[in-house]
Order: sequence, then structure tokens, then C-alpha cells
Amino acid sequence: MVDIPSWDVRFEEFPVSSSSAGRLAGLAAVITTSLSLPSAAHEPPPEPNAPEEAMSAEELKELEEALGQDASEEPKNGTSPAPQPFSLPTSVDFHGLELSFILDAALAAFTAEKPLQAGAHDPRVSGFNFQQLELAIGTAVDPYFRFAGNIVFSQFGVEVEEAYATTTSLPANLQLRAGQFLTRFGRLNNTHPHAWDFADQPFTHGRIFGGENNRGLGLELSWLTPLPWFVEVLGSVTDASGEATSRSFFGSEAGRLASPFDFQFTGAVKQFFPLSDDLSLLWGLSAATGPNPTGYRNRTDVWGTDVYLKYRPLQGTGFTFVSFQGELFYRRRQVPENLLSDLSGYAQVVWRFDQRWAAGARYEFGTPALGLDGRLAEDPLDPEWNALRQRVSANLSFWPTEFSRVRLQAATDAAGWKEQPDYSVFLAMEVVMGAHGAHAF
Amino acid sequence: MSPIRFLAALSAALLTLLSLPARADLKVVTTVPDLAALTRAVGGEHVDVVSLSLSTQDPHFVDARPNLALALNRADMLVAVGLELEVGWLPTLQQGARNPRILSGAPGYLEVFQFVRLLEVPAGTVDRSQGDVHSGGNPHFLYDPRAALAVARGITERLATLEPQHAESFRANLAKFSEELEKARTGWEQRLAGLKDTPVLAYHRTTAYLSNWLGFQTLAYLEPKPGIPPNPAHVARVLGLGRQKKVKLVLQEEYYPDNMSRLVAGKIPASLVTLAGGTDFRAGQTYLQRMEELVKRLEQGLKKARGS
Repeated sequence: MVDIPSWDVRFEEFPVSSSSAGRLAGLAAVITTSLSLPSAAHEPPPEPNAPEEAMSAEELKELEEALGQDASEEPKNGTSPAPQPFSLPTSVDFHGLELSFILDAALAAFTAEKPLQAGAHDPRVSGFNFQQLELAIGTAVDPYFRFAGNIVFSQFGVEVEEAYATTTSLPANLQLRAGQFLTRFGRLNNTHPHAWDFADQPFTHGRIFGGENNRGLGLELSWLTPLPWFVEVLGSVTDASGEATSRSFFGSEAGRLASPFDFQFTGAVKQFFPLSDDLSLLWGLSAATGPNPTGYRNRTDVWGTDVYLKYRPLQGTGFTFVSFQGELFYRRRQVPENLLSDLSGYAQVVWRFDQRWAAGARYEFGTPALGLDGRLAEDPLDPEWNALRQRVSANLSFWPTEFSRVRLQAATDAAGWKEQPDYSVFLAMEVVMGAHGAHAF
Repeated sequence: MSPIRFLAALSAALLTLLSLPARADLKVVTTVPDLAALTRAVGGEHVDVVSLSLSTQDPHFVDARPNLALALNRADMLVAVGLELEVGWLPTLQQGARNPRILSGAPGYLEVFQFVRLLEVPAGTVDRSQGDVHSGGNPHFLYDPRAALAVARGITERLATLEPQHAESFRANLAKFSEELEKARTGWEQRLAGLKDTPVLAYHRTTAYLSNWLGFQTLAYLEPKPGIPPNPAHVARVLGLGRQKKVKLVLQEEYYPDNMSRLVAGKIPASLVTLAGGTDFRAGQTYLQRMEELVKRLEQGLKKARGS
């Protein structure tokens, strides 16, 4: 059996007794001297004798001995302080462990026999659709890391969508993420259905990255620049495989890591301009490059730009807003004896006209892949995609509270390679239980 | 120039900019403008204070705009109300700010609810079927100058810990602020003595501390449950109650829609008093001026209700 520390142990840690405080202080001293983190410059001055100067060998030895003694006393100590009652802020916020469940389900009707829905969590068939049950986890690991996870339950399986640690105290405005995460390509890619303004994802993401959006196991370093306005620069290295997460790269043909260039590299610059109290503009530029399986050293590059413009008056009742969001993707793929390029994008407007109501409209397009000669070329990923595809969706959302949402959405999907456009209607529902997640802008 | 080279050049330029440790004052960021005003009052010339939200904004629903994260990135101290008032937006900003000084648990992070005797702390278990109930207690305590004074005292002590060299100055400012506020409070209490035991209605559960201070009775709220907008059946009931108990005032904040309050006040009849959500800190208002304005509006409302 796996030995899981019981909650009782943690309770006992909570009231800091004088001996454990001493132990902590000793530990802190050792850590400060051994690590001597460069963030010391920022540290407030409460400890007058913070051991900045080097310690003599004897002093260190003394410290170690003291620590050893404390450690041997532990079992005896561990039982003595009675667990003191303390009030939990909420039933789920357990020492800062935030858990929330998000359920998305939809009733859908399609005119097409085989709808062209590209997202893994989209309503995909006529009838009832279980989109997902998502478990979002967030907590501080220790003074140096935070953990975030998104475990997604589909009707017959479980999937780790995201599980990563983020550093919290790197110097120089740097932040490192490690684990499995959605890359921060553009605006929508690293979000989950709860944050979407539509019941399905734009087909741009399904076409370029896959139904789950672009993600992978890897590392990301980001830097908040010291410029007077918000500029964030980031770069990540992730594995390039996964049919639903990196289909323009290695896709399902995984496991051929021959050189560092077999990773996917992603870079982005994000800027924010508070044009006024009421008007905000977020603008991003992104690029990703990685190998594709069509031949030796064949590569795929994706460039993108994203814009989010939001008008929310801060005078008067602050519920209403209008937002515009658009993303454009240019993809280039090396294939045997050709270079394929295509352009995809979407633009959407959302108008929250009441505390509880919002309306939205979205336009999407995707050109067919063209070869070097500018003519239609065969697309190894989507062989049928030989003409422009456009889709227009409109929806109306109702929030009984911020924890529940009902959404009616209709769309017409005009794929150039089909004789006539497809139509669809969704009635989607979402409920959020557990910790109150904070929303990113 | 290739994009990579350009990026390298840009980074080099930025890195030189980085090494400017401009550190004159303690940079304090507060979540709501009332806290900014209190911090300014006790911090005086030694602190540089910014509020993340405006007094016209509902503090429950502030957009986590990235420029706010930038303010937090450069802050030495963050002062918040706590009790989950800012839970919908502050954690995102704190985590995005890359500043360990203002993370929860750090000396630079202060939740001021701890200094206040809290009201409406739910006795039993709370779940969301009861609406947006703050399970730790009602967080709208800055309407009560007595609570504000306790908060100012707490902020002073934390400032003194962070900047011990100015501790004397902070405490002197606090003494001055305390004296002024106490004097003004006596005046306010006299002017609003008529509010004692007056029945009133309110829009949201923001009046607990105000009513505790001034002694009026909040009979009902236009929101059927906290955070749930008014519906006709509930409003009809509230209206009936208001008429029966001869309600004099209907209170609400500027940031809530006032159609329903206007209607109810007109039908009872009672006078509608719209309260500013907080200090207009950006325009240079102080906490005393903010409370003076609030008292004046209540006074006028009361006068109008008497006159009719």
C-alpha cells in the first residue's frame, strides 16, 4: 500500500511550537547560506541577523548537530501538540489546495451525417454529448513552486491534459514551467472550455494542432520585461508527438527523437495596452516550429497573431462589455518535393448586455494548402480539404450565477469540398463546482 | 536584420534597463481604493500607493487586466480585504506578477479582515445554493469608520515591520488619523442619530457594518440571495414588507443597477440613497472625505424621507 501522509500530520504542523520554530529557523539559515538566492535584494529587512556573511566551519557543524538532534526528537515531538481547531475558509480550500470540477454537456443536432467538428470536447454527434468533466487542481507546492493540473474525464476514460509546476520566486521576472502543459501559442490555445465564449473550439486549432489544442511534455521559460507597459516574452520546448495535440508536427508517429530538433519549439510575445480605464488591448505574436513525419528533417512552422480588444465601462453597472477576439495562423509544411502553406483564422465578437446574458458571433476560415507553385497541393493531413472552408456561428449565453451557464448556439459550416453547407444547433450546459477559480484576462 | 538578432538586441537593451534599482518609497498596492486611502493616511510621504480597482467598480468582479499584474510586479506590499472578496481576480494577478514579496504568506501580503470584528459569519455550513455567501464573514466592513481605524492600525504595524526606519513616522500618522477620524465620527453619529432603529432596504448585503454602526435595521435585500439579481416575485415581497414596516430608505452602491431600487423606493415611498462604492482615491479623496460624502447622502436621504 502506498503510504499517504494522513491529514492529522498536517494539522499538527499547523500550530508552530517553539521547538519546531527553532528547527525552521535553523533550516532557513542553512538554506539561505547554501543557496544564497539572488532574490535577497528584495527581501524585507525584518531579520536583522540574516546570515549573509559566510559561516565558519565550526558554526556550520554546530548547526548540523542541532538539526540532527531535532530530527531525532521528532517522533516524540510529533505527538505532543494537540491539534488545534482552525476554521477552513471553504469546504474545499484545504490549506490552499484548490479543487474544482467543471462539467460540460450538450444536446446537438447536425444536418451532416459526419459533422466536421474538430475539437475533442466539441459536441460531435446529433443527440446528447458528454463534452468533458474537468478536474482543475491548483496549489502551492512549497515556497518555490506552484502546481496546476487539469485532469479530464471523458465518458470512458481519463486524461491528464495539464500537470505542471510553475516557479514562484525566480529572480529577474523569470518564470519556468515544467511538466505537461498547453503551449501559450496565441490566445485560445492554452484555455479550457470553461473560458470559451462558444460551445466548441474554432476549427483552426483542430486543423493545425489537433482536437486537444497544442500541448506536450516540456519546459517553458517566460520573462516579464521591465518596460513601462506589459510585455511578456516566452519560449517553450515540448515533445512534438500526439495526434490530437501536435498533428502538424510528429502527430501520431511518435518516438523518433533523433536530435534536439525533433522537439517542438514555441515562442511568443504578449503585450497589453490599457488604452483607457474602459478599453483594453491584448496583442500577441507567436511562432512554433517542429518536425513532421513526411520525410527526413522535414519541418512544420506555424506563425500566428492574436488580438483581444475589450470595452468594459467602469462607471455605472460594470457587468456589460463588448469584446473582439481574433487569431490568424499561417502554416508551412515541408513535404516530399513541395512546401505546403495555408492560412486559417477566426474572429469573434461577444456582447455581455446584462449581468446574466451575453450574445456572440464568430467567423472562421481555412484556406486549402497550396504548393510552391501556388497551386492546390495534396494535403497529407486533410486530403479532402481542397477548397476554402468557412463557418459562421452565433450564440446566446445565460448565466444563472457565475457557476452555471446555459448556451444556445447555431452554426452554418460551408466547406468548399462539400456540395452544400452543413447546419448545426447546440444547447450546451456547464456547471462549476468547488474552488472559485480566478479568471485570466 | 533577422528576427533572432533583433530579439537578442532588444533583450540586451532591456537587461541594461533592468539594473535600475529605483527604490525611494515603499510601493504599496491595494485591491480597493478605501484601503489605498487608509494606507496613504498612515504611510504618508514614505509610501507610494496604487489601488487596483476604482470606487465605481464592484470589488467582486474586477477584470484581471495584465497592467494590474505589472503594478503588483513592482510592489513591495499588497493590501487586500480578504474573506474571498477578491477571489475571482486577485490570485491570477498575484501568480502572474512574478513577485514573491506579495504572494500569500509573504510579509508583504496583508489581508485586513483579521483586524476587524466580523459580522454575518455563517454559523452552519455554507454551500453555493445559498448564493454568493462569504463563508468567512461579511467583507464590506470599510463602511464602518471604527473598522477602518482598526484596519489602519493593522496596516501601520505591517508598514513598520517592512520599513522599520520609518516606524515612528507611521505611528505618528496613525495617531493623527485616529484623532481626526474619531472626532469626525462623533459628528457623523450626531448628524445621523435619526437613523437609529429606522427600517431600511438594501440591494446587496453590503450594509451590515453600516447598520451596526448607525443602528438602522436592514429588513430585506432586493437580491433574493447574495449575488442573484432581483426577480419580480422577491421584489414584490420586499415591497410589501417595506410598505408594512414603513421603510424610509433604500440603500445601494453605485455599481449596482438601480432600476429596481428606484421602482421600489418610488412605490413605498422611501428615498433611494446611492452610496459610492469607495474612496475616489485617484482623484485625491481621503477616507474622511469619502465618509463625509456618505454621511451627507444618508443625511439628505433621511431628510427627504421625513419631508415626504
